[in-house]
Amino acid sequence: MITLSVPGSIEYRDIAVRVIGGACKFVEADDAEQFATEVVSAFSEAFNNIVLHGYRDIRASGTPPGNIEVVIHHRAVDDATRELTIAIKDHGRVFDPAQYVEPPDEMPERGMGLFIIRSFMDELRYQAGPPNVLTLVKRCRQGERKKSAPP
Amino acid sequence: MGHTRTDSGDETLLKIDGTLDALTAPELRPVLDQLVTESRKSITVDLSHLRLIDSSGVGALVSLLKRVRGYGGEVRVAGVRDQPLAIFKLLQLHRVFPGLPGA
Repeated sequence: MITLSVPGSIEYRDIAVRVIGGACKFVEADDAEQFATEVVSAFSEAFNNIVLHGYRDIRASGTPPGNIEVVIHHRAVDDATRELTIAIKDHGRVFDPAQYVEPPDEMPERGMGLFIIRSFMDELRYQAGPPNVLTLVKRCRQGERKKSAPP
Repeated sequence: MGHTRTDSGDETLLKIDGTLDALTAPELRPVLDQLVTESRKSITVDLSHLRLIDSSGVGALVSLLKRVRGYGGEVRVAGVRDQPLAIFKLLQLHRVFPGLPGA
């Protein structure tokens, strides 16, 4: 398990993204670059949503926003499947992704974040808090060559 | 995020590098606004050195496209690759940006 906690400001997103990118390597996906690209893209949007929406009222009041805590697990689901789970916790306004299901239109300027998260991750769960917990899950199946390799 | 703008006659080349996201898109917005203010009609946005883009960055580029088309101009993107290409393909932006590879 990997945990980190950063202030809920957009300036800290890059630090969190680098940790997420590093954690993706533990999954040993066949196409590691694509796996990391999709996870990092989805996580970035989730982080944005917390900062821009979840902590907006707190920030507007002049109070420093709370932290964003990230808990990362990786595990083998079976012989051929690995799974990465990222739980993102915040103490801001509830932002339930289930309320936003519309895909972007042909020339989107807004509303793309959740579409990106849903498209790139295999599971998306939300538990209203405090703390609110958004859980992102992505799996990958490993190729035959990797499966048969010695441990 | 860094950017350079080069004008050659009616053509404008805007190179954006680094990261175009919720943090840096607001920094770029005055540059894009200036292109619209000057009614630049043929704009190419070179993203070959862009490392990462998020929905805020995409929104800034789409906003530019809509405004430029509003006065009869066109915005092309060039050199998109890696993570930005994955995002552009997912959002099917090849349908709106000339020069972008199809999904």
